[in-house]
Amino acid sequence: MRASSLGKGLGVAGLLLFTLFPVYLMVVTAFNGRANAGSRSLWPEDWTFRNFTFVLGEGGFGRYLSNSLLVALGTVLAGALLALLAAVAVARFRFRFRTSVLVMILIIQMVPVEALVIPLFIQARSLGVLDSLFGLVVVYLAFSLPFAIWTLRGFVAAVPVELEEAAYLDGASWGRMFWSVLLPLVAPGLVATSVFSFITAWNEFVFALTFMADQDNYTVAVGLRRFFGQYGTDWGALMAGSTLITLPVMVFFVIAQKRLTDGLVAGAVKG
Amino acid sequence: MTDGVTTVRERTRSGRGAATAGPRPGRSRRSGSRAARPWLLLAPALLVMGGLLLYPLLRVVVISLQDFGLRQLVSGRTSWIGFDNYAELLGDPDLWRTVLPNTVVFAVVAVALTVVVGTLVALLLARLRPLTRGIVTTAIMLAWAVPAVTGTYVWVFLFTPGDGIAVQALDALGLTDAATANPFASRISFYAVATLNVVHHGFPFVALTVLAGLLTVPQEVTEAAIVDGAGAWRRFWSVTFPMLRPVFAVVTVLSTIWDFKVFTQIYLMPGGDGVNRGVLNLGTWSYVESFAQNRYGLGAAIAVLLTVLLLIITVGYLRLLFKEDEL
Repeated sequence: MRASSLGKGLGVAGLLLFTLFPVYLMVVTAFNGRANAGSRSLWPEDWTFRNFTFVLGEGGFGRYLSNSLLVALGTVLAGALLALLAAVAVARFRFRFRTSVLVMILIIQMVPVEALVIPLFIQARSLGVLDSLFGLVVVYLAFSLPFAIWTLRGFVAAVPVELEEAAYLDGASWGRMFWSVLLPLVAPGLVATSVFSFITAWNEFVFALTFMADQDNYTVAVGLRRFFGQYGTDWGALMAGSTLITLPVMVFFVIAQKRLTDGLVAGAVKG
Repeated sequence: MTDGVTTVRERTRSGRGAATAGPRPGRSRRSGSRAARPWLLLAPALLVMGGLLLYPLLRVVVISLQDFGLRQLVSGRTSWIGFDNYAELLGDPDLWRTVLPNTVVFAVVAVALTVVVGTLVALLLARLRPLTRGIVTTAIMLAWAVPAVTGTYVWVFLFTPGDGIAVQALDALGLTDAATANPFASRISFYAVATLNVVHHGFPFVALTVLAGLLTVPQEVTEAAIVDGAGAWRRFWSVTFPMLRPVFAVVTVLSTIWDFKVFTQIYLMPGGDGVNRGVLNLGTWSYVESFAQNRYGLGAAIAVLLTVLLLIITVGYLRLLFKEDEL
């Protein structure tokens, strides 16, 4: 018995070390005043906010952060609405081609961005919408929809139909029932998929790299590259920027932890 | 996988539809707003996905059959060249010697490690007390939350030639010489670092999904196996694994899809953006041919090859899903 609890303790310690060490190193380096002077210590001697002030000031990161926030919020709002409507359609109605629609939603998730970026770049270029944040929102919306619909569908199906019928008996129209019965009950699922859409948009790299030429339009994922050079990398600034990008995602993940995993399991396993 | 497979259970679950539906063939003729309503609800999402996912997928196939370079990009005029891009692609020794091995071997190794590590973590989590489990789960979520971009920079930082912390540590252990070692120069060590990065980022999904599955295994079954004298190893292979086979199938196939098309984690590493052609994979090669060399036709052909490979894996995934539970 004692040997097994010792084993468990070691396992937990090793696991925590493996999972948290990169995060720890990122944060510690962001606060390291000598990160660029060859000091790669696990515990900086010179604690400072200078990396952050540099990144947000001269580095132009404030601009990138607000661009990313704008794009992510746009994606979340439009995505939540479109995905919820579509999820209700596939969870509550039986109609022709319903299965085909579901299979398409599943298959389309595997399409690699590498295959989409070439035609979409050419298309956006000829339409003159390269270098626009709105263009990114539309692209990210398309990326986040399949997963959001697939996950929300499980949440909608879990709402008992009897509740809907009760609303109809009380004389509610379909729209009233949707707004007053269905929406509040699937709200947790909506939170989970919104978090996921937010993260998709916030982290996306390939399209932001390809579409955005003007530095003023960079999102955080691309803006970070400014501090990374083949020969001279400003590690303090790079890690400060990385910390700024990572923190909101972490907060979201931990908040939505339970719901997100439930949704993933419902979407991935039960279908 | 046609419409006809809807079960009685599902139909009764959507009671309202069943009450008014009547026999199946007559349903599509049912007039009025009810028949149109699901399509109205679906329309905005289908438009966005059709226009930005399906249509570009057709376009990329079209472009792969064209001579599409910088001049064509500017002028908008293109010429058909049949399968010339594919002939060039399949005749390129780099594809067989470098790019495909990089893609496939990396995916196989990374998936195997991700699933094994994730499963071990799930088994550990299942044995912890709720409080400890909550804390460790939160730590795992933190690792999962690290964006691919920033995670990659941290691993590059760790393995920077000369003074990277991991390089120094390996030097202290006598495994490398920090003064000369460059982990990003050789293919093996480049992809070893990439594997660490991808496994670190990918195992939380496996761990949490398998854990959710483990918690559904009835206590009595495990206890019965213990009474029968089965050890932990035996219990896993004879009880847990068969019961959770669909869960393992799903996490394996999903991880395979993700690791096959890995892009950001490779592209952002030193030399990964095409400077070091020995470390290209299908995704980065397609991107570099298109946007660095302006050879969009060839890049599209590479992208089509990658998509076809992923499609084959996805079909396998769907068959696993449908065997277990239907839509």
